[in-house]
Amino acid sequence: MLTLENIEVVYDQVFLAIKGVSLEVAEGGAVALLGSNGAGKSTTLKAISGLLAPERGKVTRGEVRFRGQDLRNLSAPERVRLGIAHVLEGRHVFGHLTPLENLIAATSMHKSRAKVNELAERVFEWFPRLKQRANAQAGYLSGGEQQMLAIGRALMTEPKLLMLDEPSLGLAPFLVDEIFDIISRIVRETGMSILLVEQNAAAALAIVDHAYLIDNGRIVMSGTSQALAQNPDVQEFYLGGTGRVDYHNVKHYRRRKRWLA
Amino acid sequence: MFYRLAGVRHTTYRSARQLYPIPFDRYLLYTIVVIAIAAPFLFSPLTLNSYLLPWVIWSTAALGLNLLMGWAGQVHLGYAAVMAIGAYTAIHSVRAGIPFEIALILAGLASAAIGFVFGGAALRVKGLYLAVTTLAMQSIVDWTIVHVPAISGGSQATLQAPTLRIFGWPIESDAGRYWFALAICAVVTSFLLNVSRTSLGRALVAVREKDFAAAIIGVNPFKYKLLAFWCSSFIGGIAGAVLAFCYYRAVTPEQFHLEVSIQAVAMVIVGGLGSVLGSFFGAGLVLLAPIFLNNLVNDIAVALNLPLHAEIISHIPLVLYGALIVGFLLYEPLGLAKVYDNVRNYFFVWPFRHARH
Repeated sequence: MLTLENIEVVYDQVFLAIKGVSLEVAEGGAVALLGSNGAGKSTTLKAISGLLAPERGKVTRGEVRFRGQDLRNLSAPERVRLGIAHVLEGRHVFGHLTPLENLIAATSMHKSRAKVNELAERVFEWFPRLKQRANAQAGYLSGGEQQMLAIGRALMTEPKLLMLDEPSLGLAPFLVDEIFDIISRIVRETGMSILLVEQNAAAALAIVDHAYLIDNGRIVMSGTSQALAQNPDVQEFYLGGTGRVDYHNVKHYRRRKRWLA
Repeated sequence: MFYRLAGVRHTTYRSARQLYPIPFDRYLLYTIVVIAIAAPFLFSPLTLNSYLLPWVIWSTAALGLNLLMGWAGQVHLGYAAVMAIGAYTAIHSVRAGIPFEIALILAGLASAAIGFVFGGAALRVKGLYLAVTTLAMQSIVDWTIVHVPAISGGSQATLQAPTLRIFGWPIESDAGRYWFALAICAVVTSFLLNVSRTSLGRALVAVREKDFAAAIIGVNPFKYKLLAFWCSSFIGGIAGAVLAFCYYRAVTPEQFHLEVSIQAVAMVIVGGLGSVLGSFFGAGLVLLAPIFLNNLVNDIAVALNLPLHAEIISHIPLVLYGALIVGFLLYEPLGLAKVYDNVRNYFFVWPFRHARH
């Protein structure tokens, strides 16, 4: 469905942030993009949704294809109409609108009002908390509620591919579980594909079927989520170790990342 | 290629902290300084008096405005009024028998005091609202100057500037006036180059980026916004006085109207917000491009013997000038300084295409 082939992203004409990333999201698939801070995860998502220009970035090489169509010459709003929705890191809800108005703001592609109401109803069904606060100002919602609203707003565009950039940012573990449960439920019910960027690797690997590991602007590992979860390097560096340390076999050197970066 | 980094190894803190750690940048600066100082011998009096002198003075003014708009992030649409206060203060002081050096400082102080009062508005309003407030300052100062005979010498009067005397020495040559303006410009430039490296500069940038984020790390936005208005108006007052004494040698209210303010803002934006080099580029483009375009269009019309009406010939340069500004900003929204920076970055990593991230 979505194919990235060797894309390179250059910021400010000279800074090469992504050095040839290829990845694929299958129809109805759930894919996670893992990596440490500054590895290029968010940049990859912005290259797909077309948001690089405001940050003086540019895709200089490679191909971005969505259902066979080349995306590179399309603007961000045109890409949304093709069915790509990007939930930005840090939510960015419209603070002076109510949650309901936030949702309606994302429906410029739908002609019929009945459909808009139906979609809003569906979002409220997935996120009952938003319904309770439907008439408050979105700026006064809590962090978790704002994240729900950001996801709900993206769903109003009826995406075929939903890209989530760190939905767990700054949320209590309890809320993270709730949001991830809802995301899995939405994926099950609608059959859309998701591309998930997460720092919380354990939570992400639990809900996706395929994952890529990105380091220093390159994909260094990919595979099914089980395979990645069992990889000793991933466990050490992204899952916080295996939990128990066997002091009989403790090594006296620090483990190094084995991939060639 | 040019900007060789090979072999640049700092062994003392002093050398690591110098303004231009890269040798090529330094040599470029030395060359420009030498050319600027030798300009009266290198260029014709016409070039010196009508291109270089106003360029130097307006660069000084643009630097002052850039301190406020580029570093502290406060819009100011009344900068010409600030310069007018400086110009009138200096002329009246010298006429009253005060030595020029002291009159210059008085000019700065008068502008700073009045600019400071209007800057107080910046504590309550931001962005476009501040722009409108400073616009009000422009109108108020314009009106006051025109309607108070004690300042303007009566409506439509021109006040002649007395001879420029520095420490009692009369300066009557073109070269002398140019060198004086250049010296003031050099002082202001070195002040601004160093502002970015001091706590004042960092505090101003913090206030620009997000004033409440600055407040939360202990930077008092109240203090630094007022300080920015004070410093910027001081520089504006000095630039206005130099403009009146060295370039116009007379002062009338028309020299400091709203369109001059807009021109100053254009210099800062076209040149590049928050860039010292950009202030020079911006002043150069805004000031000199119309003159060059005018000459160019005239020469072409004469050379090709085009049967064009004089009015059309005089308007084509204005159209081209507007197109030039729009074109530069479309090509590089961060201004001419960024264009230079892109070129510099390119040669930094040449023959490679990208810098290490």
